[in-house]
Amino acid sequence: MWLPFLGLILGLALGILTDIQIPAVYENYLSIAVLAALDTIVGGIRANLQQVYDDKVFITGFFFNIALAIGLAFLGVHLGVDLYLAAVFAFGVRLFQNIAIIRRILIQKWEDRHVKKDEKTV
Amino acid sequence: MTNRLHNKKQHKFTRKHFILLVVCIATGFIIGYSYNLAKDEVNVNTAYLEQEDIFRTELIEQQERNHELMDELNTLNAQIREYEKVFAEVEDDYKELAQEAENLRLILGELPAQGSGIKVILKDGDYDPKTTNPNDYIVHESHIFMVINELKISGAEGIAINGQRLKPNSYIHCNGPVITIDGKQFPAPFVIEAIGNPQTLMSSLKISGGVFDKLLNDQIVVTIQELDNIKMPSIND
Repeated sequence: MWLPFLGLILGLALGILTDIQIPAVYENYLSIAVLAALDTIVGGIRANLQQVYDDKVFITGFFFNIALAIGLAFLGVHLGVDLYLAAVFAFGVRLFQNIAIIRRILIQKWEDRHVKKDEKTV
Repeated sequence: MTNRLHNKKQHKFTRKHFILLVVCIATGFIIGYSYNLAKDEVNVNTAYLEQEDIFRTELIEQQERNHELMDELNTLNAQIREYEKVFAEVEDDYKELAQEAENLRLILGELPAQGSGIKVILKDGDYDPKTTNPNDYIVHESHIFMVINELKISGAEGIAINGQRLKPNSYIHCNGPVITIDGKQFPAPFVIEAIGNPQTLMSSLKISGGVFDKLLNDQIVVTIQELDNIKMPSIND
């Protein structure tokens, strides 16, 4: 369970220590990528909890979502329309939905355990 | 069998975790990187904002300074206009004053003068063997004084003796056969030129019992003539 957190911390450290400068124009893409990555991770956790987790879906979803979001932002920048808002909106809604589902599942599990405990004690 | 199953399970478990790890590292990297960028951007933004603030302050100061200078300029312009107005009003007076100053200079003798007037020539009388004293027939300073005083009283505007212009404070004194006027010596005959109204000057000199008669009485040869154009040097010549 601690492995993903370790990975997250490692990635954070790498990202903070990296000193590559990118043009300010592409900073929009980065925010989209962050959102996409978070969405995918949360989606993965949800899938895991719902026992529908699949490696391929997860890993392709991760990179494909990021690529799609960045592509959309890129297109938006070049068309002069803020298309990245679509990605932000979609990922944001999905993020909240997934987190809500995770929360419900966790509560369910917790309650189930309590019921079992109660049954045991009774 | 169980071992293999266990191994497989272990393998699957590891793979799943490996993918999760990769994804987490990637996510962490992206988040960290964007945090880093955002931090830099905030710093840059802060520096930029400070710079902008400084520039804005400077600009405001400059504008205020401009405003002050503009006010000053307007005030000065108003002053100039006032001066010009006053100057325009005074200009006529000034012309009159300049004319007056010119006239006064003419009268003072600071400028060469010319005009109509009379010319009086005083010559020593002819040698008279009956008298032993030559003082009885030569021209004395008193004679010249008489003529000059009479001319001045009669309104002569400028007087010159032998081409020497008389100042208001000129001194004349007798020095034997010559007279000294302001330090310059002049011998007889003495030519006294006066600018003024010729008729007035002439008649005042020729008044009976006046200067002309007295001079004749003192055995002096007097010649008086009216001239239309007498030229006189200035007192500085």
